[in-house]
Amino acid sequence: MLFTSLSFVLFFGATLAGFLLLPLGWRWLWLLTASVVFYARFGPANVAFLLGVTVAAWAAGLWIAGVRTSGWRKLALASGLTTILGALAALKFFDFLAGEVERLLAGAIDLPRLGLTAPVGFSFYAFMAAAYLVDVYRGACDPERNAGRFALYISWFPKILAGPIERAQPFLTQIPGSLRFDPILAVSGLQLIVWGLFKKVVIADNLAPVVDNAFRIAAYASPMELVIAVYFFAFQIYCDFSGYSDIAIGISLLLGIRLMENFRRPYLAVSTAEFWSSRWHISLGHWFRDYLYIPLGGSQRGVFRRYANTMAVFVVSGLWHAGLGYGVGWTFLVWGALNGAYQWAGLATRGFWKRVSAVLPRVSESTTLRLFRIVLTFHLILVSWIFFRADSIGQAVTIMSKIWSALPSLPSLATRYPFTADHALGAVLIAVLVVIEVLDEHRPMARRLAAAPVALRWGAYYAGIFSLVLLGRWQAGEFIYMQF
Amino acid sequence: MERVIPIRTGIKAGTAAGFIVIGVLLYLLLLAGSEYLVHRNGHMNPIFKIDAADRERFDWVILGASHAMPLDFGGFNSEMEKQTGASILNLAGPGTGPLYNRFVLEHFLREHSTDNILYVADGFAFRSPMWNEDRLADGALLARTPFHLPLALNLAGYVLAEGVDPRALLNYLTGFSKLNNRERFRPDIWEGEAIFDRTFKPSAVAEKKRAEYLYPAVADEEAARERYLEEFGELVELARLHGARVVVAKFPLPSRFAALLPNEAEFNAALQSQAMQYGFTFLDFSGAIDEPQFYADTDHLNRAGATEFFERHLKPILARKQAPLNSSWDSQLAGRR
Repeated sequence: MLFTSLSFVLFFGATLAGFLLLPLGWRWLWLLTASVVFYARFGPANVAFLLGVTVAAWAAGLWIAGVRTSGWRKLALASGLTTILGALAALKFFDFLAGEVERLLAGAIDLPRLGLTAPVGFSFYAFMAAAYLVDVYRGACDPERNAGRFALYISWFPKILAGPIERAQPFLTQIPGSLRFDPILAVSGLQLIVWGLFKKVVIADNLAPVVDNAFRIAAYASPMELVIAVYFFAFQIYCDFSGYSDIAIGISLLLGIRLMENFRRPYLAVSTAEFWSSRWHISLGHWFRDYLYIPLGGSQRGVFRRYANTMAVFVVSGLWHAGLGYGVGWTFLVWGALNGAYQWAGLATRGFWKRVSAVLPRVSESTTLRLFRIVLTFHLILVSWIFFRADSIGQAVTIMSKIWSALPSLPSLATRYPFTADHALGAVLIAVLVVIEVLDEHRPMARRLAAAPVALRWGAYYAGIFSLVLLGRWQAGEFIYMQF
Repeated sequence: MERVIPIRTGIKAGTAAGFIVIGVLLYLLLLAGSEYLVHRNGHMNPIFKIDAADRERFDWVILGASHAMPLDFGGFNSEMEKQTGASILNLAGPGTGPLYNRFVLEHFLREHSTDNILYVADGFAFRSPMWNEDRLADGALLARTPFHLPLALNLAGYVLAEGVDPRALLNYLTGFSKLNNRERFRPDIWEGEAIFDRTFKPSAVAEKKRAEYLYPAVADEEAARERYLEEFGELVELARLHGARVVVAKFPLPSRFAALLPNEAEFNAALQSQAMQYGFTFLDFSGAIDEPQFYADTDHLNRAGATEFFERHLKPILARKQAPLNSSWDSQLAGRR
């Protein structure tokens, strides 16, 4: 039951109707029921995993808060984290690693397999549960004593498949008092839902066939075809994932719940550090910052540790992304390490850029330089996406080498390339996205719409809605990130 | 932590109603435009063909799946009409089983009539909902199906009685697939028609892939076949009720491809037994043309193949304005093969 399916529309209609009819005190229970039903639609067995993580985190949270001595608190935290993150690691990697070991030993041994895969959304709610335990341990969050409300936090249906990886405290403090239909929130929610759907079914799903075709036959594809596919994939994955987040946040607003922002026009970042720290998958970036980077010492224990901690965060982030979407493989490790290397380069040259700024303040603040940095950052990220999308490291290298060797003749290749209507549509949709994001960067679109005359505002709404009807690919596949 | 900051000052009931009313009007406007395009670009869809038919009464109506479609490619139907002197309307559709064909025939018989029906039977179409219920719900077919209220009511009946996905009805009523059709500006030409003059170079990989596509794994093949034979029986009864006689034929297939098809002998036996029960004629031409030069792809006749098949087998059938009630034509036609 995806957000883009008719069954979800019916499900959400029923959920909203029940929500509006029930008294305030009962609403959280209704939403919990709806969340479990929603998740069960992806396979009843998944609910067992959800229940397991919920019970483990809830019980460990109470245990941490209930014991006084530091040793017991640490033991309680370690027990909870080992259970949850151990399950995540086992489900994601056990079978893959067993296969790799067998392959390395040329089949000399026959290792057992779990025969299990992580249920949909497991990576997201396991990280939420782990964050909750650390927050309780640190005293940043009160332990939730009501198991039902805690279950609602973990299983909240708009975000369970692909985040945002919401923190417990801001979510739980909204229950049950905020569970009201608020017309002001509803307008924002509807705007976000339409925008999220536009990004998913109009942009991402129209780019997907071009990308899939090229990556399927990468070894035989022409360099121009691969160039187009790589650019299209950068926008496909952004629109697919951020589209999901926008819809999740929008649906939550209709039900009175505010979730954290997860994307902030990432391709307008002026550095890869900015891209990862405050623009792309913000909830995951903050998770790694708060629960891995800082506990490892962050930037406080010398230069070597800072570099090592940075790389550790990105390598683990790569492992977290390894999943069903594009298979569990070493490509994700390379993708993480490559982004870690970008951060190293950024750290190493930071002093130099500071000195340049001091000497040439007008140059460093110029629009031209800013634009150059945006384009450079985008292309660095673009290269890393090749590893993210490729089936294997070999395929990624093939794609990059084919593009690299054709770079000098790319303009002439482009003039001879048989562009199709799909290419033209993809280019137009990307252009529309970029224009809207640039406008949004300078002044939020919601604010612009609010200030616009009613005809213009409604025109924008109708344009959004009817582009979903006329151009949307509603039979297309799942959201990419829900598979991680 | 960043939050989404709401900007607007909420929804007023009257404003919301106005927004919805204008939205509905815009939708209807776009729907009218889409319906116009369905008619302007219509070509292959059987419901469109019925609408576009230039007469009320036909000598022959051809039903079935894609193997019957080459008889209507590239002006071939007109040629057959000229040579036989019979009026022929080909209502076959790609991947359509007896349930879909019955649905089409019901629509045809609402305002038209025929003396005879040639039903081109394929084993695959009698063993899976994919070629029956699912085809009625297929957005690609619905996108090209002109709107008729009686047809919508009939579809509602199929939803209630035959297990067709209710979304098919919702889709048809709202015209969503028409609005959402990416091919809206292109003529409704099936891919097979574009290669009607081509000659296929046999490929084991392509043949295997095609057979796997036509014959997906089904839970209970026996029960499925029984069910769709029953549906087919209802189609025959419907035809009889309207004074039309039915001839069921299996069209030629290359032997390389036919060898990949599962349980064809059982299917033939089942059709034969149904022929006895319902009194229609069953003709098996599946082995009649084997040479690769007569095929456009793995299993569809090209122009040369259709001509050869027509000359050798079909012409004497279609030239007769009235098909026999039962018994086989095999003996009568044996001498011509």
